[in-house]
Amino acid sequence: MLRLRSSSRSDARLWSWIGAAVIGVSALLYGSLASGEPRTNAERAHSLANQFACPVCDGQSVAQSDVSVARIIRREIRTWVDEGRTTDYIRSQLVADFGEDIDYTPSASGITSLVWILPVVAGAGAVTGLFFVFRRWKLEADLEPTEEDVALVESARADRS
Amino acid sequence: MSNSSLGAAAVALGVAASITGLVVVAMSLTNRRGNWKREIQWLVGAMAFAAVAAVVVMERALITRDFTVAYVAENGSSTTPALFNFATLWAALEGSILLWTMILTGFVVAVVVKFRDQHDDPMVGWALFTLFVVTTFFFMLMMGPANPFGTFDPSPGFDGPGPNPLLQNHVLMAFHPPVLYLGYVGFTVPFAFAISALITGRVGEGWLVATRRWTVMAWGFLTLGIVLGAWWSYETLGWGGYWAWDPVENASFLPWLTGTAFIHSVMVQERRGMLRVWNLSLVVATFSLTILGTFITRSGILNSVHAFVESGIGPWILTFFGLIVVVSLGLIAWRGDQLRSPGRIDSPVSREGAFLANNVLFAAFAFVVLLGTIFPLFVEAVDGRTISVGNPYFDRMTMPIGFSLLFLMAVAPVLPWRKASPGVMSQRLIGPAWFAAAVVVFSVLVGARGWAPLLAFGLGGFAAGASARQLILATRRQGWRGLVGRTNGGMIVHIGVILIAVAFAASNAYVRQDEFNLVPGQTATMSGHELTYEGSTVIEYSNRTERVARIRIDGGQVYEPAVATYPFAGQSINIPSVRSTAVDDIALSVLSFPEGDDDAVLLRSTIQPLIVWLWIGGIVIAIGTAMAVTPGTRRRPTEPVSAPLETLA
Repeated sequence: MLRLRSSSRSDARLWSWIGAAVIGVSALLYGSLASGEPRTNAERAHSLANQFACPVCDGQSVAQSDVSVARIIRREIRTWVDEGRTTDYIRSQLVADFGEDIDYTPSASGITSLVWILPVVAGAGAVTGLFFVFRRWKLEADLEPTEEDVALVESARADRS
Repeated sequence: MSNSSLGAAAVALGVAASITGLVVVAMSLTNRRGNWKREIQWLVGAMAFAAVAAVVVMERALITRDFTVAYVAENGSSTTPALFNFATLWAALEGSILLWTMILTGFVVAVVVKFRDQHDDPMVGWALFTLFVVTTFFFMLMMGPANPFGTFDPSPGFDGPGPNPLLQNHVLMAFHPPVLYLGYVGFTVPFAFAISALITGRVGEGWLVATRRWTVMAWGFLTLGIVLGAWWSYETLGWGGYWAWDPVENASFLPWLTGTAFIHSVMVQERRGMLRVWNLSLVVATFSLTILGTFITRSGILNSVHAFVESGIGPWILTFFGLIVVVSLGLIAWRGDQLRSPGRIDSPVSREGAFLANNVLFAAFAFVVLLGTIFPLFVEAVDGRTISVGNPYFDRMTMPIGFSLLFLMAVAPVLPWRKASPGVMSQRLIGPAWFAAAVVVFSVLVGARGWAPLLAFGLGGFAAGASARQLILATRRQGWRGLVGRTNGGMIVHIGVILIAVAFAASNAYVRQDEFNLVPGQTATMSGHELTYEGSTVIEYSNRTERVARIRIDGGQVYEPAVATYPFAGQSINIPSVRSTAVDDIALSVLSFPEGDDDAVLLRSTIQPLIVWLWIGGIVIAIGTAMAVTPGTRRRPTEPVSAPLETLA
């Protein structure tokens, strides 16, 4: 009887989990796939301005800075966006005009690719290391105690009593 | 006696007291027969007195506008308002080192008082020795490259420029740096005890227990300092943001990441005796990163809007940083055998397994931020090219880590130690799972779109549900005591962190910014809000002239973004004006005013949702930290750490 009640409770919980998952994932999918308000040119221009460094400032992006060069670049970006230019086009134009260091996104080729690769390698190394550590711990846990171990525990118990 | 002479004398006293303290503690540790307790207390007192006296003298010089002190001549002004004049102490390099040193000596005094009955214990002795080494270094900085009491010969009628205009237009400037320093400097205490544990060979859990509250308090101050810094940035810089992955922001974030990892992994060592090397490494890393952050902020090596002017202090700090790393790693290697952990983690699906995963994620987060921050230097050194690493890199690399951490925040609190069964997990997490689903549905219904922010909201809801569940259970069981103690206070902190994460995701995903040219009476419409420019006025203050634009939002209250011009070198800065509600913020700043009254003003408007929840999250974290350091119900030593494995199988 007790087992039956426990089983029906776990079934109900399983259905509850399925319900929560279906509702949550459906809402997530709908929200991800349904088109919201169309992105305006101003919004796209602002997003792009955040991806480039102000060439004469200390650590400020084109979007953040108020110096005249940053304002001019913002206007340029807005013009290109209004003309329907691609992000790659805008990036190449700005790099050609102001140099590589205007681009906040490091290139994925040459030596700068290391900044992308190293975290992935380190992350993979950490996960692999954890996998082997847990495997070793599991193997150690599965070991049967030797006669010596048993004798040691028995003598310790005897000492305590 | 002049302020310069008085200040220099105070610094000299500090150097003498700290060096003598170092020698006396070393003697007491090597010659166990002597009892040096009283001498050490006197020397610590003298050191603290010297630091406080130096700060008082500097404040006196600032308040009386004593321009014979070079620091006052370079950073003070007769026109600076009283509050910002007081805060000028930490507005530039030398004064900030002075404040740092005073806070550090305060912590040393607190250690001496707290452990007053254990001065004979070598653990306390070596910790004091380490603290004296650090204080000696900072006092020596003030004798050399960061001398705050250099002299100046002002001409008649001389007036200084005052602090950087950005540092004298918001009240948060008075609080953000001192709170941040309380966090930075506070980590010196756990570091000192970690070094002491390594030297004495007592690498068990004793040093962790002794410094547990110190660590949590330092972490709390650092967190609050970072949030206040973001708030200050939002309210003063006028670009509508609060976090830009700037090198100096990253410098404060790095020790926060390793410190956060430490306050989690420390629980695994306390319960299971594991992760000894890891915990020692995290403490060393956290302290080292505060010093590295000091180097980044003050050496001028990386461009940052927050950095102090370039100074000769860089090589000193870099040398000290190298010394800390070499000595610490050397000691860890020396004690390698004793640091081998006796225990093991039975199952990855357990509280300790979750803490381990948490630490891997925080370490990965810190690695990404450190790499992105220093990578331009590496490329320049190797290749001679100058590159930039900014928002797109950090956003892309840290987003998956942030999601994983939110997921762990949901799961970890409900996991038992040693091993969790699927039934237990299912029963404990079903409520939070429904709450997460409800949050995602609600977000979609109110118009939120995009997988990344929705996933962040859902995971935030999941984590908040788990934290709330823990708090409800604890308060049912223990009444108000269910809100205090490390675990329960930690859950309140989690809720604060979740608020910040959700607000961060929303404000970044749904930011809207545009610029408008408006003539008086003209209205611009943006994201459903109407902004009407009603004209401008000029207001004269003692230290600046402000031209203020009057912008009426949605036909209601008028907001007044301004451009302030400071007389020294005609420096002008934006003073934004922000309308905050629980739903969204409208930040207005004037990019340029017209020459004549009727010409168009160039206005920038930034609309972001949920911004105010960032600051509320910071307050919740502060409250949670205070709860966490308040003693809660103690676990009985005889109580088993968890149920035997066979009962869970």
